[in-house]
Amino acid sequence: MTWTPFYLLECQLRAVGQLRVSLHRNMCNRQAQVRWRSGSRPAPLLTARPTRALIDEPISIDAHHLPSHTPITVRANLTSEDGDLWEALSHYHTDAKGALNLMRDPSMGGSYVGCEPMGLFWALQPVPGSREGLRLRKRDVETPYAVHLSLLEGFVSPEDTRGKGSEEGQELAKTVVDRWYMAPGVRRIEVRQNGVVGSMFLPPGPGPFPAVLDLWGMGGGLVEYRSALLASHGMASLALAYFGHKDIPGPLNRINVGDSYFQAAFQLLQKHPQVCEDRIAVMGLSFGVYLSLRIASQLSVKPRCVVGINGPLGSFNTFSTEDGQKESFEENQRHWSYDEQGYVSFREVSSPSNIPSENYAKVEDMCCPLLYIVGEDDMSAASLENADEIEKRLHTAGKSHLFTRLSYPGAGHLIEPPYAPNARVSLWTTRPRQLMTLWGGHLAAHAAAQKDSWQRILGFLECHLRGEK
Amino acid sequence: MSGKEPCPLVVVRPSRGIVDEKFVVLVQNLPPGLAVTVHALIHSEDDDFWEAFGHYISDDRGCVNVAKDGSIGGSYDGVKPMGLLWSMKPIPGSRPGLRLRKKDVHTPLVVNISVYQGHMNERFKDTPALACAVAERWYKGPGVQRVGITTNGLKGTLFLPPGAGPFPGLLDLWGGGGGLVEYRSALLASHGYVSLALDYMTPKTSGNNTQHVGNDYFEAAFRLLQEHPQVCADRIALLGLSFGTSVALGMAVYSPVIKPKCLVSVSGSHVMPVNGSLSDVFAEIKKNAHNTRHDEENRIIWRDLLLPIPDDPSKKVDVGQIQCPVLLLVGEDDQNWPASESAEDMRQMMEKAGNSHLLTIASYPGTGHLIEPPYSPHIRASNFMVAQSRTKVIVLWGGQTVPHSKAQEDAWQKTLVFLEDHLYGIKHR
Repeated sequence: MTWTPFYLLECQLRAVGQLRVSLHRNMCNRQAQVRWRSGSRPAPLLTARPTRALIDEPISIDAHHLPSHTPITVRANLTSEDGDLWEALSHYHTDAKGALNLMRDPSMGGSYVGCEPMGLFWALQPVPGSREGLRLRKRDVETPYAVHLSLLEGFVSPEDTRGKGSEEGQELAKTVVDRWYMAPGVRRIEVRQNGVVGSMFLPPGPGPFPAVLDLWGMGGGLVEYRSALLASHGMASLALAYFGHKDIPGPLNRINVGDSYFQAAFQLLQKHPQVCEDRIAVMGLSFGVYLSLRIASQLSVKPRCVVGINGPLGSFNTFSTEDGQKESFEENQRHWSYDEQGYVSFREVSSPSNIPSENYAKVEDMCCPLLYIVGEDDMSAASLENADEIEKRLHTAGKSHLFTRLSYPGAGHLIEPPYAPNARVSLWTTRPRQLMTLWGGHLAAHAAAQKDSWQRILGFLECHLRGEK
Repeated sequence: MSGKEPCPLVVVRPSRGIVDEKFVVLVQNLPPGLAVTVHALIHSEDDDFWEAFGHYISDDRGCVNVAKDGSIGGSYDGVKPMGLLWSMKPIPGSRPGLRLRKKDVHTPLVVNISVYQGHMNERFKDTPALACAVAERWYKGPGVQRVGITTNGLKGTLFLPPGAGPFPGLLDLWGGGGGLVEYRSALLASHGYVSLALDYMTPKTSGNNTQHVGNDYFEAAFRLLQEHPQVCADRIALLGLSFGTSVALGMAVYSPVIKPKCLVSVSGSHVMPVNGSLSDVFAEIKKNAHNTRHDEENRIIWRDLLLPIPDDPSKKVDVGQIQCPVLLLVGEDDQNWPASESAEDMRQMMEKAGNSHLLTIASYPGTGHLIEPPYSPHIRASNFMVAQSRTKVIVLWGGQTVPHSKAQEDAWQKTLVFLEDHLYGIKHR
């Protein structure tokens, strides 16, 4: 261990008498690199398996041929489709053999603490100096995320790396993993039929497959990645656009479609030659929950089961059977609330007490099981209150047996497939001015919720779509 | 589709793997106690089809787990987690003498896995499957770089692991079949080695003169690795298969330039004229051409061309002088090269010289000449283009599928451990 004037030394004596040294670099660390590269010692070996994984597949990361009992930072870097650099850094000590194993070893600090084998993925954050309000979402699901994993000497913080990425002289070792939303053989088919706008994902093979109608929230557009992943698990999945999409006629800031649109989408799935017409689930996040409940209770189609994540049982703006909504989401802001930084929370918009009861979906008419997922730190929707109200109405109708609730402390609104970073806040709009919205969720707790809820969702779908009614 | 039961589910994990990685094939949602065939199909770059299949019976939960359940028929039997790959053979009606070799390492081998009802042995193409999945098998990890090499008159391909390095290096020499074979180097780079796959058999033709490369060709290749900024100059290994071993051993002992840190010989021999050029070696082998035998199917057995192992020291590499650790991987049913006899002779020479502590021999019963990365289909005989005369023959390589495939797995493991110990290890051995 070389102590030189280039390093500011902070020593903390621990209760058990161990010396923990953190190195703070205020100059470039070339001298350290010379020590590592001196003579003919090869770089340490950093391995990740599998090297090409599905998004929900755990990756095992280990390192060998490092000095023993040495502080090391493991870093993950990813460049998003928008060109932003995301990074996670965590601090480890090598063992007596100079090895690291992220399935076994705890992080001492950095982007996460404790034993978190997938922490480098779910704790990714935009590097210091990035644009504000970013959210990591894959648009093109037919290509993977390439994540660069590297080892850095000592305990390094995001400010030290200053988003430099893979710079010569900084990294001791590097490897790359590809992370996919689509398994090989899954087919993506653009759907523009009967007025329905969406993307269908089919598993490989003849089928027939159970299916999912996949609905997102008031962010609008067409979000495909969850459907791609569901198809990678053997279910046909139709990611449906219903708002804010150029191929849906009408103003982009309003929902211009009504019940007949969702009916047509469901029937499109039913009629598909590779889909089992009576084994279709509806899944919704946020406003998609209201739509899912409406489809299950008021339309003539019969889903086999419903998954709802953090969404209301009613619509603040009246939703008509044919034309969707007469008002846009932005037109009625009286329940929007702002924090001290000017970030907006939409939470109260979906509070049952603020929604006229005639705008509630008739959940008491539902005949199929419902899995409702609550993020207890949801700052965008009144999920807990809505869960309570749904549960109460089903109970009154003698249908409690249909309702299952999963409730996750510390999880926010955006409970998505696992091992992807949560955005506690992100950019909502830039017109008429830049507005950030609060989603809630604390990184580690939210990651745990995503991992557990995804397993539970897959199990629920498996049980109801493949089992007997 | 009205009221139809959903198809069963076939899951492969990982769905995108490196070729030396195991996978798990799971079939679910079958009726319990159902006889099924799990079938794997590859459509090769040469437009041939290769297949393997196992016969199973679903358990009481309606599942088949190829990694845990025993196959009771098909192209392999018993519990063989990777049998769907290593037992692959060309489908009936294929051209004869095929070998499955990946040319383009930028794309994976695509394996189509299907489940059929009943215990089938043929007509898979004409039968609808119950369910399908797709697995990709890659030689090259993401981030591994491929660089074509044409400097200094060399013809080869360099594969670099991701990162700045430096890394140990490897000179990867194939056999008398010639050409530029990249997949093993791509795989080794995925394990942290800068690996140079070298084409040395393609003769240089200028005007009417056809010449084989001289020894300086290999020295130039070794120097390229040594001088590469991402290579640890004193941690370079030689890896040779078949004829490539002869080259490797000769260089390791006699070249003033080539000083390998360790050497891996797959199905190789030390028998060759000492200090000869490649041309001299071929001329010497030709002298024994009358020793060529044929099996009952008229396939060529070339192992006797180097037999008997000569006593004359000028006719074999003096391995007593070798200064680096050597791993010999030998197939006891090698019909192409006398690898077993050569290994035994090398052992005796090194014992006499007092350097046998450097030698490790792994000898595999029922194993033939082509000891390739694990799960590669076993090839007992195949078409072979004699490089010098450009004539096509069918060569017997040897080996029986089950022991040969087990040997490939073990040999690769031993190779990786050997390379890591000597090239990454810190202790001086």
